[in-house]
Amino acid sequence: MTDARKQQGEKLTEAEAIERAKQGDAAAFKVLYDLHKRRVYSLCLRMTQNTASAEDLTQEAFLQLFRKIGTFRGESAFSTWLHRMSVNVVLMQLRKKNLPIVPIDDTLEGDEEGTIKKEPGAPDERLAGSIDRLRLQRAVDELPPGYRTIFVLHDVEGYEHNEIAEMVGCSIGNSKSQLHKARLKLRELLRVDRAEKARK
Amino acid sequence: MTCLEFERDLPECVEGVPSPEQQAHLNSCPACSGLLLDLNSIASQAKMLSAAEEPSAAVWNAIEERLRSEGLIRRSEPVYLPVEAKPSFMQRWRAAWLVPVAAALAVVAVVKLYHPTRLNNDDAKQVQQPITSTAPVKNASAKRKPALSHEDQQWLSTVAARPPAQLAKFRSDLDQANAFIEDAQESLQQDPNDVYMQQMLMNAYEQKQMLYELVVDDSSH
Repeated sequence: MTDARKQQGEKLTEAEAIERAKQGDAAAFKVLYDLHKRRVYSLCLRMTQNTASAEDLTQEAFLQLFRKIGTFRGESAFSTWLHRMSVNVVLMQLRKKNLPIVPIDDTLEGDEEGTIKKEPGAPDERLAGSIDRLRLQRAVDELPPGYRTIFVLHDVEGYEHNEIAEMVGCSIGNSKSQLHKARLKLRELLRVDRAEKARK
Repeated sequence: MTCLEFERDLPECVEGVPSPEQQAHLNSCPACSGLLLDLNSIASQAKMLSAAEEPSAAVWNAIEERLRSEGLIRRSEPVYLPVEAKPSFMQRWRAAWLVPVAAALAVVAVVKLYHPTRLNNDDAKQVQQPITSTAPVKNASAKRKPALSHEDQQWLSTVAARPPAQLAKFRSDLDQANAFIEDAQESLQQDPNDVYMQQMLMNAYEQKQMLYELVVDDSSH
């Protein structure tokens, strides 16, 4: 690194920030924090539904990351490493509070009635095209904790079922089942929300 | 295939490709077709929730204080800025996209104001407000047509009865939205840590959402 790089307002790549952070550079830590704070915080907020808890968990996730940054060798993407750490921090917190992460032995088989209840003459009002972020966010907040965890990890954060199963300690089948039920529940909540708005 | 049988296979169907037997059932059953469309919408729109909020400044202050107390911060350097995404073509995309959507919204507002009943084909001909895009194509990707997802195809089937000119406009706007999303996704594949491009991708999904809402709002009156 040349002296010319040590200038106010100089731009730093993530890789450079990681190397400088390993040397204890305060500003480099801040660069890494600013790059990833939104995603980590949003994940914590979705899973806990509490801004204070989400901020505490965000702080904890970054502290764990920065304490271990000296061991990061770049084998995987830094964001992947951070994100996985954040998920573990949140799940550990949920376990400490004995909050349900995933219901036990809940599989797809069992619901013989079906979801589609046909009412003669009733119009089938589709949701497609009427879902906005705020409504979806509110609906996700109303999900039972187990459903919410799986939905957030899979549909919001993009984890695969085998990864989710490993992180939360359930089977892949259980993860798929919970995701499907979460989506069905969200559909129900969104339709109720839309019906209530239409009545106003 | 009955609806109950279809529902048992539904989890694999969502975000996937229905089998011929499933597709045959979907073609004949509006309820199951609507259910699948809704679940696909929920799954795709969920991505909007990622990285949507920001913690307060107190979080970083607390982190920095702990790092100093633990001796992990050993040097104070001048402030650096993270490298920002350069592609200004994405900014032009965003501005260009807003113009046709704003124009379409203005047309709908005019129609609702002067023609409050639902438009039928005859009324549509009398409305001398051609819906045209005023945004020039500034990016080569706007000229290509990304493949339509199953959800897009089902959405287009719901507006198939619209006047041809209107349908063509919807299709054109949908292609533009999908191309925008595709461009953002390609950029993120090259640099997944690009926060700016993540925000652009979110904007792209929101703008596609606006298009869906525009059509649904119009058809519900």
